Amino acid sequence: MNELLEKYFRGETSLAEEKELKNYFLSGNVKSEYAPYRALFEAFDQEKQETAIIPQLKILPRQREVKHFWIKTFSYSGIAAALVLALWTQYPRSERDYAIIHGRRINDPEYAQKYAEKKMSDVNEMLQNGLKPLRDMEALKENLRVAARKNGTVKDEIIELNKTRNTNN
Amino acid sequence: MDTNQFNTQILVLSDKLFRLAKSILRDAEAAQDAVQELNLKLWEKRSKLDEVENVPAFTMRAMRNLCLDTIRQQRDEDELPAEVEFVEPNPHQQIEQKDLATRVRKMIDGLPELQRIIIRMRDVEGMEITEIAYVTSLTENAVGVNLSRARQKIRERIIYEQKRVEETVWKR
Repeated sequence: MNELLEKYFRGETSLAEEKELKNYFLSGNVKSEYAPYRALFEAFDQEKQETAIIPQLKILPRQREVKHFWIKTFSYSGIAAALVLALWTQYPRSERDYAIIHGRRINDPEYAQKYAEKKMSDVNEMLQNGLKPLRDMEALKENLRVAARKNGTVKDEIIELNKTRNTNN
Repeated sequence: MDTNQFNTQILVLSDKLFRLAKSILRDAEAAQDAVQELNLKLWEKRSKLDEVENVPAFTMRAMRNLCLDTIRQQRDEDELPAEVEFVEPNPHQQIEQKDLATRVRKMIDGLPELQRIIIRMRDVEGMEITEIAYVTSLTENAVGVNLSRARQKIRERIIYEQKRVEETVWKR
């Protein structure tokens, strides 16, 4: 033990040897000649138990998922409308051409085209309006982050953010 | 790095990062703020974390750099003394610090910044010398020298305290 202890104080022990020393000094069965060093290993053990009281940033992934949900929804709607319009305008015209809108057969190609254009315009508007609260949230998040660095904690930030999100909803 | 990877690779290091930050800043509240700040910074740059080979060591190094920046900033604003030397506790403090282990922790806090974080990274966190060298930007040899000095200083202080206790007992 004496040799191992000297090696330890010279900074030459391996992690395995240091684990051996820690186990010995924390075992409660330490020889009196080595007793003063018990406090050293107790101190390390006490420090190892210290944990951070930091709120987990689960809000970040959640925000991202919400954002992705809306982006995906609007994107797919837009793509679908664009496909309908493209197929309708590109497909060779014939007497048999028709479109089904809300279960009704529409034979007038001009009406169908205008309908598709209107829907695309609606989707575009929804996309703009739908993402606005998210942009506001991003700006708010940035402001809170700056404030948190100076004064507060992320806990307050999360509470405020949730309040804002609830208001927006 | 996606959300799950961020949770399992970065946020799980919070306790370790907190202990490192506390060792450098010597203030639990400031250490918690520093960890939060680092987590937010890393989250913003999560796409680049995939290129990092050793994420725990990289994160520890980032934590140390952030703490050193904080100290520099506070020094510029005259909010922090340059270094806090270990001061022998007075009799009243000795009664308060009956636990020798608590006094040892204060002794470690009295070491120079490099020595105290190196001894803690090795003896508390159980890190390899190569990892400590990376975190501190030192050579492995320099880490060994600092580790040895830190342990020797603590040893001397423990022995000194032990003698004082014995002398007190003999006087009675």
